[in-house]
Amino acid sequence: MNRVVGAPGSQPSLREANSSRIIEAVKAYGRITQVELASVTGLSPATVSNIVRQLLDQDVVETTATTRSGRRAQLVALKTSSALAVGMHIGRRSLELVIADASLDVRTVKRLPLPPDHRSDTTLDRAALLISDMADDVGASMDQIGGVGLALPSSVGREGRGAAFQLPGWEELDVDQLLSARIQRPVLVVKEADAGALAESRLGSLRGASSALYVYASHTTDSSYLVSGTPLAGFRGAAGALGHVRVASAGQICRCGARGCLNTVVAGEALAELVRLSHGPMDLRGIVKAAADGDPGCRQVVADAGSAIGAAVADLATVVAPERITWGGELAAVGEPFVAALRESVRARPLLPSPDELLVDPAFPTEGCSRGALVAIHDAINAGVGVTVEG
Amino acid sequence: MEDAPLLTLRSVSKHFGGVQALVDVDLEVRAGEVVALVGDNAAGKSTVARMISGIYQPDGGQIYLDGRAVTIASAQAAFAMGIAAVFQEFALAENLDVTSNIFLGRELSSSGLLDVDRMDDLARSYLAQLNARIPDLRTPLVQLSAGQRQCVAIARTLVSRPRLVVLDEPTASLSVGQTAEVLSYVESLRDMGLGVILISHNLNDVRAVADRIEVLRHGRNNGSFDTATASYEEVLSAITGATRLRSHR
Repeated sequence: MNRVVGAPGSQPSLREANSSRIIEAVKAYGRITQVELASVTGLSPATVSNIVRQLLDQDVVETTATTRSGRRAQLVALKTSSALAVGMHIGRRSLELVIADASLDVRTVKRLPLPPDHRSDTTLDRAALLISDMADDVGASMDQIGGVGLALPSSVGREGRGAAFQLPGWEELDVDQLLSARIQRPVLVVKEADAGALAESRLGSLRGASSALYVYASHTTDSSYLVSGTPLAGFRGAAGALGHVRVASAGQICRCGARGCLNTVVAGEALAELVRLSHGPMDLRGIVKAAADGDPGCRQVVADAGSAIGAAVADLATVVAPERITWGGELAAVGEPFVAALRESVRARPLLPSPDELLVDPAFPTEGCSRGALVAIHDAINAGVGVTVEG
Repeated sequence: MEDAPLLTLRSVSKHFGGVQALVDVDLEVRAGEVVALVGDNAAGKSTVARMISGIYQPDGGQIYLDGRAVTIASAQAAFAMGIAAVFQEFALAENLDVTSNIFLGRELSSSGLLDVDRMDDLARSYLAQLNARIPDLRTPLVQLSAGQRQCVAIARTLVSRPRLVVLDEPTASLSVGQTAEVLSYVESLRDMGLGVILISHNLNDVRAVADRIEVLRHGRNNGSFDTATASYEEVLSAITGATRLRSHR
């Protein structure tokens, strides 16, 4: 966006800089009058008017007449040349939404905290309202939305039914149909970890890797194995369930019914249980925050979780030999204590490349899933397959 | 964990004529904790909020700040103690612009004149922290949406660099998108290490951001729940009186 032509300080370079400021402002506010643009950018009204006229000629923006304080005004919005796509991630404790145009240029991001064990009907209603709210914010109508990609913890829906233990009460739902009936737009459901992997592979640090492993460590842990940029689905889409490999043969019973799964050791509830005596009730967000702030107990808990996940990742990497490994999710996003443990686990395996070669920092430590869902629906819209309105 | 809580209410009572608004209410808020106060209409939620922010004086019981007994004599006193509040009917001046509203009554000045530039800069930074989409700080409030006004009202609290923020029904009459912003803002207040008292009817919003839920019923405590473990039904039955903490006196 900050590309500037001409010699620094010259007339054309100044105009270019000013016009990119105006575009940034229009993007930030969706629809904005010229008078407000002058106030936001600090440019004179005459300059704004000139640049807007230029941008109109170049087909970058469109204007509509409106009134502000009883005066006529020009409302400026980015031209929506093609369909918009929505990427959404519904997790254990939050809903995240991004809207982007055909170039995958994200226009707006919104995050809604959700209650523990949120109900599917309430959450889907709010999701539908949020989509139309945000479409309005960027100056688009619902008709301009080509589709919605929805990332969910493990696969929920027709294909992977029976594998969704992560959102209580959502196990038996056809979420894609329920949401598309509410908004009358096509909906495509993807697994959380696959979405995160897609975001890194298309827009982030896994770009160009022939094979890669993406580890999603949040309230629960999951993974996605990418071959030439495509997540390996496996039989019934159940591949990648890293959270359900056995790490403690005498451990607790997992939600899935098996004993000692990785999730029984590193899931949000398990970590909360570890600090309950010393720190009182905490949720994952609190533990991660405290660890980042240097609380020794919480750092220890996060580091131990990192070691447990790291050992499972190293096992998996030994089997499939990925070119790169990256990670995402609320637990992984804490950074050092977690990543250092992951690094150690990889270093302990002589067959694996060195951690410096194998592990790459993610581009989207926290917002990966919504962006990956965006990539998935964007591809589906372009391919024109598999996306239909139902209900 | 052994430090005194930021704010403690012990057996606080309040009468309005013959009406018992609050009877022996206890409440505790620690730094970095979001405590939700829920209950039916007339359960006494707003009375508690007004008492903490110095508008009402308790008839009985004691308020402690950092473990020390205090009297919060007035709204100014609460302000000086680092307590900021946003009420349902927020005190905003419809005819004034955004900056003027944020700094209303506490305008910054330099050499005797209003320091408009600095106030504008600060106002922008508060609104940026809030993710607010208010392009022009010169817009009179009357032209803003309900959600934008709520953002201005909350931005106002940041001026005093508070330690405890009381939010009375911050998400009432807001769209989902604006609710998302306000709830995210409550989370960031907690991340900043402030104590937050969140009063709301909407259990969904409350359970999304609160660490602890305190139920009031007819001016009495009727249960305290840890958000992570309490179910929607448990909290609801405490609100409606299906479960009682103790018998009525």
